[in-house]
Amino acid sequence: MGKSSKDKRDLYYRKAKEQGYRARSAFKLLQLNEQFHFLDDPNLKRVVDLCAAPGSWSQVLSRKLFDESSNSNSEDRKIVAVDLQPMSPIPHVTTLQADITHPKTLARILNLFGNEKADFVCSDGAPDVTGLHDLDEYIQQQLIMSALQLTACILKKGGVFVAKIFRGRDIDMLYSQLGYLFDRIVCAKPRSSRGTSLEAFIVCLGYNPPSNWTPKLDINTSVDEFFQGCFLNKLCISDKLSPWDEEERNIAKFMACGSLESFDSDATYHDIPSSIVNSPSSLDPVQSPTNPPYKKALELKRSGKLTRSV
Amino acid sequence: MRNLSHYGPALCVKFYNDYVLAGYGPFIHVYDYRSNTLINKCRLFHYNKVHGINISTYGKILAYGARSVTILKLEDVLKKASLEDSERINSDWVTGATFSFDESQIYLLTCYNKVLVCDLNCEVISRKSLSGERSILYSGIIKVFGPDKVYVNAGTVMGGVIIWDLFSETKIHNLLGHEGSIFYVNLSNNGKYVASCSDDRSIRLWDLQTGEQLSIGWSHTARIWNLMFFDNDTKLISVSEDCTCRIWNIVESQKKDAELSISNVYEVHLIKSIWGVDVKEDEMIAVTSGNDGRLKLIDLHQLKRHGDEELSFSLDDITEQCGIIFDRNESIKGFQGFPFGVVAITSSGKILKFSDVTKQWKLLLTNENFISYPITNGIQTDNIAVFSNNKSDVLLMKFSENGADIIQSEEFHLDELSKTNNCLVAEFNDQSFLLTLQSPNPRDKFLCLEISRQDLKIKSKHCFNKPENFSPSCLTSFKNHILVGSRFSTVVIYNLLDDNEEPFIIRRLSPGDTTTSIEFVESKDHSAVFSVTNRDGYYVFIELTKTYVEGLPQHISCKVLHSNKMMKGFLEGAFFNSNGEYITYGFKSSLFYLYNETNCYELASEVCGGSHRLWNLSKIANGHILMYIKASRFHLRKIYNSVVPETLENGIHGREIRDISICPNTNANTNGNFNNGHIFCTASEDTTIKLGYFDKKTGKVNNFWTQRKHVSGLQRCQFINERLMISSSAREELFLWELNDKYDKRPYMTIRQTLPTSTNNPDLRIMDFDVKFVSQSGNFILATVYSDSTIKIWYYEDDQNKFDLIMQGRHKTCCLFNVVIITLKDQILVVVSPTNGYLVVYDITEFVPFTVDLTSGDLVETKLNTTISDLPAPVSQLQVHQSGIKSLDYVVDTTRSLATILTGGDDNGLGLTNLKLDDANTAVLKLSDFIASAASSTITSGMLINSGKEAITTSVDQVIRAWKITAGKLSLADKKRTTVADTGSLDIISNDEHPDSNKTLLIGGVGLSIWSK
Repeated sequence: MGKSSKDKRDLYYRKAKEQGYRARSAFKLLQLNEQFHFLDDPNLKRVVDLCAAPGSWSQVLSRKLFDESSNSNSEDRKIVAVDLQPMSPIPHVTTLQADITHPKTLARILNLFGNEKADFVCSDGAPDVTGLHDLDEYIQQQLIMSALQLTACILKKGGVFVAKIFRGRDIDMLYSQLGYLFDRIVCAKPRSSRGTSLEAFIVCLGYNPPSNWTPKLDINTSVDEFFQGCFLNKLCISDKLSPWDEEERNIAKFMACGSLESFDSDATYHDIPSSIVNSPSSLDPVQSPTNPPYKKALELKRSGKLTRSV
Repeated sequence: MRNLSHYGPALCVKFYNDYVLAGYGPFIHVYDYRSNTLINKCRLFHYNKVHGINISTYGKILAYGARSVTILKLEDVLKKASLEDSERINSDWVTGATFSFDESQIYLLTCYNKVLVCDLNCEVISRKSLSGERSILYSGIIKVFGPDKVYVNAGTVMGGVIIWDLFSETKIHNLLGHEGSIFYVNLSNNGKYVASCSDDRSIRLWDLQTGEQLSIGWSHTARIWNLMFFDNDTKLISVSEDCTCRIWNIVESQKKDAELSISNVYEVHLIKSIWGVDVKEDEMIAVTSGNDGRLKLIDLHQLKRHGDEELSFSLDDITEQCGIIFDRNESIKGFQGFPFGVVAITSSGKILKFSDVTKQWKLLLTNENFISYPITNGIQTDNIAVFSNNKSDVLLMKFSENGADIIQSEEFHLDELSKTNNCLVAEFNDQSFLLTLQSPNPRDKFLCLEISRQDLKIKSKHCFNKPENFSPSCLTSFKNHILVGSRFSTVVIYNLLDDNEEPFIIRRLSPGDTTTSIEFVESKDHSAVFSVTNRDGYYVFIELTKTYVEGLPQHISCKVLHSNKMMKGFLEGAFFNSNGEYITYGFKSSLFYLYNETNCYELASEVCGGSHRLWNLSKIANGHILMYIKASRFHLRKIYNSVVPETLENGIHGREIRDISICPNTNANTNGNFNNGHIFCTASEDTTIKLGYFDKKTGKVNNFWTQRKHVSGLQRCQFINERLMISSSAREELFLWELNDKYDKRPYMTIRQTLPTSTNNPDLRIMDFDVKFVSQSGNFILATVYSDSTIKIWYYEDDQNKFDLIMQGRHKTCCLFNVVIITLKDQILVVVSPTNGYLVVYDITEFVPFTVDLTSGDLVETKLNTTISDLPAPVSQLQVHQSGIKSLDYVVDTTRSLATILTGGDDNGLGLTNLKLDDANTAVLKLSDFIASAASSTITSGMLINSGKEAITTSVDQVIRAWKITAGKLSLADKKRTTVADTGSLDIISNDEHPDSNKTLLIGGVGLSIWSK
């Protein structure tokens, strides 16, 4: 698919390029905010963007908290973006190339926040999918749990956590677990996320962990050990593998986000709507694609070196 | 609801003696691989999938998958239907598991690189880990070398392979070099090597002692999922997302280095991904398991099991062997295989014989007549070799059964032709065979000789008129006719009883050019079916029917029953094997292939020469013999039938099934072969449509065809009656297919018509369609909805075979997911669902030239108007869901004044909406019931059954739910989990006249499950 045909299919891609966002996913956060207004809170001060590369959510945070903010005391606002991959700089955003599961990362963020807790944590991270649906869903949930570990150590009581999910077989188990940490869990689907995709976002409102539980990040403890005593429904680590038992499941309330007038990410558009018509016909993506791990294999294939000879 | 059968990803596979054990969803299937029998299906887990199997020497089985682990006795797995009670759950994902050296314990490697040492009752004895390492793993195995030497081999997501000692909990190596996630690691039994594979599509061989990278193996074209050492650690076998299984030699050089070199490639699964592999080393048989649910056996000694699979000779070799002296520049110009061996002719007219028994060459004679442009043919059943030249000379030689003697020989010149440029032969009857000669001179006739099999004398000569552009390329006979395939994709049929009868000509059967084979397939009544192949990759099944009308000459008519195209390459011929599977052969660039087209896997391949190759494929008693010239050498490659069954399961699509449609009422038009179940279609993300058959009692599925006409991922397929099916996909592809199931051996299906597209370079997706028939005719209206919000109404006339656009318009700018045409009383209504969760009703009654038959609800034609009307404004709109409606079904009540619409949404909701005509006869939507959390994920399909008293839904949370509908309210009646991931499609065969009779449910996604309700 050429550059222009992608434009036609996907107005959000086009819009992202025009507005200087590094990826179309920026609109997902904007539409989530249209519904929940978590970024419009004048008291919002400290914000963490996990698995942030290439950085479109950080861009949204930067613009919302600084550029578009009427709040005069925006100088005490702080945005920290963390990813294992390097990220090009974004105004008002401190980027850390670090592992979100590592206690050192936690310490660095807390340091940047002057040992104050965060008001808002988000993660738009997703692993590469293998096609083994159960494994892919598990890895995605582990990514969320890793983000949640850090969040548990850094989020203030009453704070907000937002993360990408894939609604597969065991998503109701995740909802159930999150219910022990937050007052309210919503499964939100922005209109900029394709209806044909399993992608959605959990919006966890009102951080409120069990009072008798103290989160402690340690490189040698597993996610499960970390949440011991928190997820009351979950099996305890014991000296015997437990027999199978139906685990607690809950269905979070679903909420579509973004007005019905916003662009439809599944639609093919012929005429570019007037709202974005004043732009050059074909723009280059702001962030060029990163080097895929199979780059060398592609080169070999292109030069005919992978053609079957046996 | 009861599960009858399941086809879907098989994630792991293991040999144990004569058994093959395969992880098939939450089951282990046990097969006796030699006899190809399924011995048992044993359910191990409640709903986790079996990802790995380990078998101890004492016949204990350790199986794991996701967070589940179980230890079982082989004898139980062989006999029992369920062992779910033994399932144990770990808190983390189990990446690898194995028995300890003395098999008294098990080691479980979790995805956080921790090992649990457990006893055989799953009591945890100790926990081991590597301090400071907690990277999540995609892969990892535990290798037990001895009671004290156990290595953990962990493949991380960050490109590193961490090898650590279990007991000392110390790191041995962190092997760096790969890019991306590591998908498998294995160690050689001799402890010398580590092999790993990753997202970067390479295999790397490492020295376990030094940690040094020894070699990189490039060959796979996608991610590699599994690999293992075999043949005393001298070889590697790998399986990949590219659907191939590859064999690598580990070539050890003197410098103690080792090099990976690719030695074989097997294209054996459907897109995409082979997950599991195992090798039975004493037999050199491999088994692979894939996302397509196939279990494929591969003979790793396909080239050396009988010892004479590969022979090749230069003329010098032949001289040396048996003293035949060749001229300078002499070369082999033609050859033909026989049961006794090969007969060949050289450029100097030497006729040679190669004996398959002695493997010796012999010069039979030299005939200088056949120096110029010799053509070699043969009648294998009678050991008759046929040589011809461009001067219209023919030499016939008949050999004794063992090939030792020439028992008959004839040579003649044909004065009828000025020149000959092609000669073809074909079997005719018990007494004779046929030989045709073609002249390039248009004034010459097309000559056909009937020749006695006994004494090789000409019994009769036929001189036929040639049509224009006639260039024969293949020949077959049927009763008293000959069928001649020609260039321009043409078949010409001559009547041997009347040379002057005008031939019956079938032109442009496919877009290709040279017809490469014509084979008789089956016949019924006055019709016969032939398979016709074309070099450009197309194959077509044609039905020839002979009609007799008193006082008129016989009349032949031809109908295309089936057409399809090979994935790539040249198609040189095809035949049915003894199992009724369609086998094709040809070339993909320099590679010869023999392919099982029915089940889609390669049977054999051989790298031959370039494009002007001289080759021949002949059938032998237990397989085929391929002869070709490459680099001036004559090659003989014997392709024996496999010594083991080719497959233990054929499987289904390797990617998501997007839609399923069961052919209604199949029993009505078949003769009994397809009476115990139904013919059905599956439309997949892999761009193909499969036509298969399922047995109602056992749920067993047989695949007949895989149609490759669509070029993009399928959206929908639907049988609109027992003869016609429609499929749609992106790029505005919508095809009307015609099914023919009157023949005994298999149904056939071909495209009858293609829907016109809006532009020459269409990029719209046809999201859905619906059909309403015109009363008592084959004519219908078709509504199509598009990704740009367009709604089109077409009229299809059966006898004209033509789609005419009668109405079009656009809803808004959003994508439309569903459409149905509903008739209520005298109103024709079109209901669509855009991505925003609304139902929108258009009343098109006034704008189309139809009225409604008030009893059946079918349409009645009025005067057909040739203008295209505009879509009127909607009459009713109602937001039922918060976001896209993923499934839509309806029933109309007996008064035909109320439709109940069932909708399932991306918002997890299930809606029941009434569509009713108000006092002013205007259609109005009214919500009857809505269940907000009817599933924990998107509801992808829903159907109303028992006249709307019940409904079945499927959703991405892998739950099938049965609902009761009473007084317009939904209540959950039953729910069952399914192993089918990305559950996305459903079709139900039920009998509404007998609401209590059994219903069969087909559920598709990544796999296919058949349920009975």
